[in-house]
Amino acid sequence: MSTWWTVLVKELLDAFRDRRMVITALVVMPLAVPLVIAGLSSVGTKRQEEKLAGMLELPVVGAEHAPNLVAWLGTHDVRVIDPPADPDAAVRRQEHEVILSIDPGYAEDWRAGRPADLELIFDSSRPLQTGTTAARVRGLLSGYAQQVGTLRLIARGIHPSVAAPIRLGERDVATPEARFDLGQQMLPYLLLLLAFIGGMQLAIDATAGERERQSLEPLLATPASREAIMSGKILATAAFTLLSVLVTLLMYRIVFAVTPAGQLDSSLAVPVDALGRLLLVILPVVLLGATVLTALAAFARSYREAQGYLPMLIFLPMLPTLYLMVAPVKTQLWMLAVPFLGQNQLILRILRGESVTAVEWAVNLGVGLVLVALVWWLAARLYHREQLAASS
Amino acid sequence: MIEVKGLRKTFTARGTVIRAVDDVSFQARDGEITGLLGPNGAGKTTTLRMLYTLMSPDAGRVLVDGLDPSERPDDVRRSLGVLPDARGVYKRLTARENIEYFGRLHGLHEPVMAERVERLVAALGMHEFIDRRTEGFSQGQRTKTAIARALVHDPRNVLLDEPTNSLDVMTTRSLRQFLRALKDEGRCVLFSSHIMQEVAALCDRIVVIAHGHVVARGTPDELRAQTGQHNLEDAFVQAIGSEEGLFA
Repeated sequence: MSTWWTVLVKELLDAFRDRRMVITALVVMPLAVPLVIAGLSSVGTKRQEEKLAGMLELPVVGAEHAPNLVAWLGTHDVRVIDPPADPDAAVRRQEHEVILSIDPGYAEDWRAGRPADLELIFDSSRPLQTGTTAARVRGLLSGYAQQVGTLRLIARGIHPSVAAPIRLGERDVATPEARFDLGQQMLPYLLLLLAFIGGMQLAIDATAGERERQSLEPLLATPASREAIMSGKILATAAFTLLSVLVTLLMYRIVFAVTPAGQLDSSLAVPVDALGRLLLVILPVVLLGATVLTALAAFARSYREAQGYLPMLIFLPMLPTLYLMVAPVKTQLWMLAVPFLGQNQLILRILRGESVTAVEWAVNLGVGLVLVALVWWLAARLYHREQLAASS
Repeated sequence: MIEVKGLRKTFTARGTVIRAVDDVSFQARDGEITGLLGPNGAGKTTTLRMLYTLMSPDAGRVLVDGLDPSERPDDVRRSLGVLPDARGVYKRLTARENIEYFGRLHGLHEPVMAERVERLVAALGMHEFIDRRTEGFSQGQRTKTAIARALVHDPRNVLLDEPTNSLDVMTTRSLRQFLRALKDEGRCVLFSSHIMQEVAALCDRIVVIAHGHVVARGTPDELRAQTGQHNLEDAFVQAIGSEEGLFA
């Protein structure tokens, strides 16, 4: 029986007897990920629907100057309310999302056939909160303008199509799976984070913890090679993490299966046939995480020091998600070679039901595994340092 | 058989160079118990660590059964049974699982291992706790588990770093008997201690170390003759030059 296998089996046995570790990895994380995404998704879906369909309370400054407009808004689910004393400040303080201001000269301009002035007050630095409402009010006002304009043209005996040189139709080619929302952006990040540092407790325990509990020195006094001991620990960490990711994905499926339709965005459900491909994308990240964590645990002088590096590791898988948020660009082959960014892209594409070519797979998996090999080599060098076991 | 010639090891800690081991030479023969005696910090642990390849010497040479650890570290580790100063056991594993883990790392096959474990359990008196998880073990039970795991591959040479540290009287007594049995089987037993009575009670040969140097070596009789003292205790004090740290 080879050494790495002996170590792998022992570390897994040790891990599965650690109740706290098992509960964290196989119960807490698998429940947390789907619940966070389901929560985000259902809140998001509900809020969007409310904003688009519900009664909108709109403070209007100078409502008395445009009674017709106010009346028309009233027939379109808008309740006009009294404006606050300082509209700009009220919007800035987030007391109102959007305020409409009607110019005192509105009636006069209107009667003279000149464009009458309206002003929409909103805060564009909060697009998520106010964007939908601002767009809805803008849409209503331009609808009103078009209606009145058409009537004016007809009154002058001109066909309304004269003022409409083009007619713009829209065709949305998005498949139902591809509709993008917050939950869908979170899923790849959470999966990659779990894959990358889900094995932290086991990895740190198996090297830094083993040294702290004084059992590393006798272990290294056996004829087993340090590479084999380290590889066994890395593979045990990876196997445990992979199990945690698999249980998380299954829980995720179950949460979506038992939730009544319509409450959650169904585009977030992971299709069963995508599970295998998702695990394949995640595998290099799991191996990379296990190797990086083991290298850190060998580098750190104590358990606590090793834990101190974790915030940095949590940040790494976040980078591509942030990048994609500010620059949602078309996938290019080089991106698939960038760790985390490539996996993030592939996970999104698999979830969206898009196909991945053999070349793209080869680039992504190949670069991932080469990176694992490099970090493994670095970890092996750290494992050969005299300070590793004989620090005291 | 272990031979050490001119062994040297220095550490650098915050700019200061510490000579932990400086020109240490001795022999530990088969069928004998050799004691490495010296106060805490004399360089005993560092010397042993160089023997079992955890550290490499800056100068000097080690031969274990004629093999140089720097050339054939795996073969040397195979021929050594080591109880280091660090003797942590895996607390979520039973004593038997702890021992078997090391047996597998030594490449033992299951039937051979089962027989070895039984022999060690009998020799060390581990029947009561062999199948219990080691969490909550007494110091003595942990040390016995660590010794059994160090010897499961039936090594010719046995290195023990302060084996009786913090053990009670009964366990110390049974451990001494166990070490004598190892010697009677023809093995080379080398152990370190800072307790003079311990070394005097057990050893055929004694190597006295202080401040990284060997200050005296020989059988108890030879040591008495060298120092001109009748009493072994006085001989040690004479050799080391102070009474510091020598008594339990």
